[in-house]
Amino acid sequence: MDMAFDQYDGAPDGALLVAFANGDRAAARLLAIRLTPRALGQAYRMLTDRAEAEDVVQDALMRLWKIAPEWRQGEAQVSTWLYRVVANLCTDRLRRRKRNVGIDQIAEPEDPTPSVTDRMQDDARQKALADALASLPDRQAQAVALRHLEGLGNPEIAEIMEISVEAVESLTSRGKRALAAILAGRKAELGFDDDR
Amino acid sequence: MMTDKRTDLTDLELNDLFASARTADPDPTDDFMARLFADIDDVADGFEQVALPTEERRSLLASLWAALGGWAGASGLAAAAAAGLWIGISPPSSLSSVTDVIWADSVDVSLFASEDILGLEG
Repeated sequence: MDMAFDQYDGAPDGALLVAFANGDRAAARLLAIRLTPRALGQAYRMLTDRAEAEDVVQDALMRLWKIAPEWRQGEAQVSTWLYRVVANLCTDRLRRRKRNVGIDQIAEPEDPTPSVTDRMQDDARQKALADALASLPDRQAQAVALRHLEGLGNPEIAEIMEISVEAVESLTSRGKRALAAILAGRKAELGFDDDR
Repeated sequence: MMTDKRTDLTDLELNDLFASARTADPDPTDDFMARLFADIDDVADGFEQVALPTEERRSLLASLWAALGGWAGASGLAAAAAAGLWIGISPPSSLSSVTDVIWADSVDVSLFASEDILGLEG
């Protein structure tokens, strides 16, 4: 680790943010190093587009730096806040995609022949899932993504989305049913016919 | 394949789909991190400007110093402040004893001179 970061070993994210608000740029750089990999993964798994995922993370972190002077340690976790902002920014983008292109017109998996590699199958599935998430109501898409793409527990999702655990369960359940229906016509493309 | 058209994905298939999506985990590139660091500098610069521009801060201090009369004014102000502090902490009843110590004799102070300074009484 960089010498400039040594003094922050073990410091909570909130403390680093407060240090940044007091003029310490190294604290914010360390926070960016800590938070970016997970936030980028979250955005990429929802959008399946690296450039868009980077834009979302950059936008989210920019918002974080700007609110640093008002941040109150102990009231919220920086990581929870970031999950929420990234999820919101991603559904904004998915909604825009949906407006621009109908779900039936969205790119088909690139090579549906039996010779496709597992990697290509994963890519095709990721793309199909992102397309289908774009068709869900925002809150359903966020709950499904946090539960099934990020692997978070319902209490944590409830905190991120600022709703009850019961509401999370309802959103994920309805979201999954909707996804299953939306993707019904694409089972062969997703490789399920061969598997079963 | 047309027979699958109206069959929803099963829970197992949906879970397979989610598992495929979870394999995507891109690493941040150096270029991307550099962009984020540049944002940090931009925001930090903004904080410093909002606090008060350096030039403005300097000229404000200079104006205040001039208004106090520079070093001479400031030393006079410091003496006055010290005297004020002394009088302030001394109860009114002890004020006369202080003046006694300084001047040895009592001092009468009046707004009007006791003599007829205009000589109106001839």
